[in-house]
Amino acid sequence: MTTLITKTVSKACVPIIILFSISLLFAGHDYPGGGFIGGVMFASAISLLYVVFGLKYIDSIYSYQWDKWFASGLLLASLTGFGAMLFGYNFLRSSYLLASLPLAGDIKLLSTTLFDIGVYLVVIGSLLYVFKGTGEDE
Amino acid sequence: MDLFTAITLAVFLPFIMAGILPAAEKVLKNRIGWYATATAFLSLLLVARAVPSVANGENIQGSIPWLPSLGIELSFYGDGLSIMFGLIVSGVGILIMAYSNEYMSKREDLSRYYRQLLMFMGSMLGMVFSSNIIQLFIFWELTSITSFMLIGYWRNRPVSVYGATKSLLITASGGIFMLAGFLVLNIITGTFDIAAILQNESMIETIKGHEFFLFALVLILIGAAAKSAQGPFYIWLPNAMEAPTPVSAFLHSATMVKAGIYLVARIHPIFSGTDAWFILVSGLGIITMLAAGFLAFRQKDIKGILAYSTISQLAYMMAMYGYTTYQYPGIGVAAATFHLLNHATFKACLFLIAGIVAHETATRDITKMGGLRKDMPVTFIIGSIAALAMAGVPPLNGFLSKEMFYESSLEMGHLLGGPLEYLIPAAAVLGGVFTFAYSIRFIDGIFLGKRRSEHLPKHMHEPSLIMLAPPAFLAILVILIGIFPSVAVHYIIEPAVSGILLQEVHLHVSLWHGFTAALMMTIITFIAGIALYTKYDAIAAWQDRINVRYPWFSINYAYDRIVNGAQGKSAAFAAVMQPGPIKPYLVALLLLLLVLGAIPAMLVATTIIPADLNFDIPLYEGILLGLIVIASLGAAILRKYLHAIIAVSAVGYLVSLVFIYLQAPDLAMTQILVETLFTIIFLLVILKIPQTFRENLTRSVLARDLLISSAVGITVLVLLLNSTQGIAAPFESIAYYFIENSVPLARGHNMVNVILVDFRGYDTLGEIVVLCLAGLGVYNLIKSRSDSK
Repeated sequence: MTTLITKTVSKACVPIIILFSISLLFAGHDYPGGGFIGGVMFASAISLLYVVFGLKYIDSIYSYQWDKWFASGLLLASLTGFGAMLFGYNFLRSSYLLASLPLAGDIKLLSTTLFDIGVYLVVIGSLLYVFKGTGEDE
Repeated sequence: MDLFTAITLAVFLPFIMAGILPAAEKVLKNRIGWYATATAFLSLLLVARAVPSVANGENIQGSIPWLPSLGIELSFYGDGLSIMFGLIVSGVGILIMAYSNEYMSKREDLSRYYRQLLMFMGSMLGMVFSSNIIQLFIFWELTSITSFMLIGYWRNRPVSVYGATKSLLITASGGIFMLAGFLVLNIITGTFDIAAILQNESMIETIKGHEFFLFALVLILIGAAAKSAQGPFYIWLPNAMEAPTPVSAFLHSATMVKAGIYLVARIHPIFSGTDAWFILVSGLGIITMLAAGFLAFRQKDIKGILAYSTISQLAYMMAMYGYTTYQYPGIGVAAATFHLLNHATFKACLFLIAGIVAHETATRDITKMGGLRKDMPVTFIIGSIAALAMAGVPPLNGFLSKEMFYESSLEMGHLLGGPLEYLIPAAAVLGGVFTFAYSIRFIDGIFLGKRRSEHLPKHMHEPSLIMLAPPAFLAILVILIGIFPSVAVHYIIEPAVSGILLQEVHLHVSLWHGFTAALMMTIITFIAGIALYTKYDAIAAWQDRINVRYPWFSINYAYDRIVNGAQGKSAAFAAVMQPGPIKPYLVALLLLLLVLGAIPAMLVATTIIPADLNFDIPLYEGILLGLIVIASLGAAILRKYLHAIIAVSAVGYLVSLVFIYLQAPDLAMTQILVETLFTIIFLLVILKIPQTFRENLTRSVLARDLLISSAVGITVLVLLLNSTQGIAAPFESIAYYFIENSVPLARGHNMVNVILVDFRGYDTLGEIVVLCLAGLGVYNLIKSRSDSK
């Protein structure tokens, strides 16, 4: 699968896929998307790189430690839960802040977004961890 | 600082100091033992502060809320009994930790050793000062756990591991029975607080008349007997002798094994004065006393002799605490309590002497020793004092409490009348005779007689002062308490006995009180003991022969059969539950699904297939569904992995088309992405395995598989058809709640996402934990496979 065409196409596509996955993550609260879908999409993009260029080549550029990704994602998601407890609410109780900024207009800041980022990281990390582990096996 | 704070601090100080011990070790290096000694000393001071006020009859009581909703609080209660135990634990603790400085080689893991000793000391102090019985149980099990760790201190010795496991299995499971007994007590009284029960006479009357009385008593006594190595539970203590000797001196003679005795003393006011108490407690005590005393004969290990003597001496106390009648509920309490204190002094001393001897001779086998009095005269004198105290020779403290034991046995026998009037004192004397014989054996075998030079190192000498001072101190206590008992009796024993009998008690203990029946019994004991000692080796040899001829005639045999049998049974169970191939797991899961889905559906079913089903399907929908059916059939039938995987992926993509058609973009997107990723992973995996199914499917297996899968398929179909009507009709859909609330409560217009991250956030958290664990699991499975190659 390492033809010139696939290499060129994937080089062009992967950044777009990743950007799209991030937009899915943040749009998720109101439009189709969310941490899980975004995470799987990110994982697909990276697995495309792995398949096309090979594990060794990717690792020689930058060795991703996916276990750290899912560990930090899980930490973030749990901390979001504990954050609510700091304010005297139950574990994982969500809250939001509606604000109006000069250029961006009306925005809303949700505590669930942080939680969703945690989900995003966990999905990416665990999928690619398994993916890499399977691929490395001789 | 008030006394309650002092007691609380005395309990938690050892834990805190154990926590910062590793840091202290960096500074103190090999002298870390003195740090632990100082901690024990501080605890002793804190406990000792309470002695004067408790001697005046003012008990300490207080609590700190812990789990208020369950009525569980951290509450401490210090009466005479607790204070006596507190003094023994921290006092012996000081000596043991000081002694360990020299006993433990500098190459050992000293940090772990002292940390565990300190934690044990804290747990033991916490146990004796606990007022709340749940808290008492927690500290109780903590002593079992620290004891387990200390017995198994030398982790690479199989005998240590065996002894540690045995002690944990027996004492900790005994503790569970005790907890059950406490819960029964709670059902009767409605409180978890011992002090509250002790201070309420009508409540004690209620307990004694309650139908669960015997139930609670037996359960609690099982815990006490397991901990104090009484009855059939004695078997763990001899094996616990694999611990370092200071540990044996501390845990397995002076303190932890007395926890069961403490418990019996603690619940004495609640349960005594009944026939059941006498029969169970005294019966257990007398039988154990005779059996363990007799079995001590064949022990060749000097620590083994001491272990059996400890079991037998603890049984004395059990028997005495059990002496009770309705009018005189506490006949033997004073004697038992006094013996408890005395035993802690002379037995800890004997263990420390055994440690010195084993250290110098490099063996623990008494048949290889002899004549050490010339090499180690001071050790000989100290050891002899302690052993003679155990034998009950005047003017040592063991004599006093042994006399009291005989007196109380006579009194109990007299009150009961009948044959028991003679049987109980006779049993007491027989126990004393055995004790006398093995005590003399300890002195004679090690220090007297001819030196067996062929087994012993050439140069043996007295140990250093650090190892000699602790046993010497205890030996001096043995003599002082023997000659001037009034101080110990006034400040320690009287308050403790008052705490048990719940009234002011004044005791008069003196060396000489005329030619009483008890003195005659003592003289008989000495004569019979000397006579028995002449036959000592013959009896030991006879016991050995019996043991060889009838190996099944022992409790250890039963224990080993049960434990080893449990391992075999677990392996067989695991082989059935986890056979290896994936298919049986899948079958189990699907069958469970059937049970969970089909049975409730049957129970609430009014119509299995809803009447108003609409079979009018548009053409393109029909084509899509037809393709899904074809792809599924392909996945089931195709013989090559590659083909089968492509067929499975086709099913997935086609289903995502259905989602799009049904206007569920979230689901469709997820389905496409997951399908893509998993197809790639599948392809990566099948490169490494045979390309064709190799399994030979017989017709019957095929039929079974087909039956299961179609049953599951039909169940799911019926459940889906009924999800909005039919058998699901009585249940209201929960969808409307989310539809109404996702914008006002969570400010989100994508309901699926709002449910995932907000309304059902807890579920999602659980799911991502599972995802992480699954990732780790798969990764390690793959890695372990490549490592093993």
